[in-house]
Amino acid sequence: MAFTLYSLLQAALLCVNAIAVLHEERFLKNIGWGADQGIGGFGEEPGIKSQLMNLIRSVRTVMRVPLIIINSVAIVLLLLFG
Amino acid sequence: MHPAGLAAAGTPRQPSKRRIPVSQPGMADPHQLFDDTSSAQNQGYRAQRAPSGLGYPAASASPQAAFLADPVSNMAMAYGSSLAAQGKELVDKNIDRFIPVTKLKYYFAVDTMYVGKKLGLLVFPYLHQDWEVQYQQDTPVAPRFDVNAPDLYIPAMAFITYVLVAGLALGTQDRFSPDLLGLQASSALAWLTLEVLAILLSLYLVTVNTDLTTIDLVAFLGYKYVGMIGGVLMGLLFGKIGYYLVLGWCCVSIFVFMFPILQGVMMKPKALGGGRMRRSGRCG
Repeated sequence: MAFTLYSLLQAALLCVNAIAVLHEERFLKNIGWGADQGIGGFGEEPGIKSQLMNLIRSVRTVMRVPLIIINSVAIVLLLLFG
Repeated sequence: MHPAGLAAAGTPRQPSKRRIPVSQPGMADPHQLFDDTSSAQNQGYRAQRAPSGLGYPAASASPQAAFLADPVSNMAMAYGSSLAAQGKELVDKNIDRFIPVTKLKYYFAVDTMYVGKKLGLLVFPYLHQDWEVQYQQDTPVAPRFDVNAPDLYIPAMAFITYVLVAGLALGTQDRFSPDLLGLQASSALAWLTLEVLAILLSLYLVTVNTDLTTIDLVAFLGYKYVGMIGGVLMGLLFGKIGYYLVLGWCCVSIFVFMFPILQGVMMKPKALGGGRMRRSGRCG
């Protein structure tokens, strides 16, 4: 089975890319997953959905710039080494 | 008596006056090399630590001794060794930031009895009664003293053994080549990473306030390699039936094993402060 660490890294990169391209206004709001639609007060249990929305929003905020760099590196490596 | 230094080459030197014991680290042996071959007056004097006293007559000695006797290179060596000591300090200070070495030591504090009991527990957990990890003043007791504590020794050994046994199995099927070993290891490591990430994600989403650190999780997930080794070995001995039987048995055992232990670790009351890092599902 050719499931190596490198393919795991590639899959993770693709997943993070997928999360990063979700558009806040056009898409997430329309399905009710916008980041500012989640806070239901300061209750005890945030709930899975709000945790997920928080996760998506934080991934998009944090990984925006590093993703540019990592993607460029991955593209160059794939071009050179296939 | 003039300070050790640039004595004129030809003057007969009085060894006792010239040798000012300047201690330079790590310079004892080259002096003896130098002393034996330098000019005749220095015969018989055991050089202590005066490299600067062994000045320029070094030209007559071997080039290696000459290099070592040169004051500049002496200073360079002293500087280099002090630099190495500083570098070692720096590495020791900073390594703790990236790899928590002291915490890792806890996971390797095992002894033979613990390993034996734990292996037995992994294969047959059905009769074990008490799954709580004993604490000692808010830090968990070392694995040596409590069979329920997680350790990294068994998973590490089991992982390596599994890769080797998989290579053996491939060999019996005439499919072996050395790079396949690396592929197996990488593949197993990738699956382990995937599982750790999946569990971390689920713990985050479900906002469980647990005491479970990442290393603990790696330790618990690494226990499955023991079952895998058993399965592959049985498969080698008894063919497909043996393989599936033992694999099924080990799956059920690991399931029965994980359940109470994770419960015991995860449901620790939040009242225990300090000690280990906490994993909190809630932000902030």
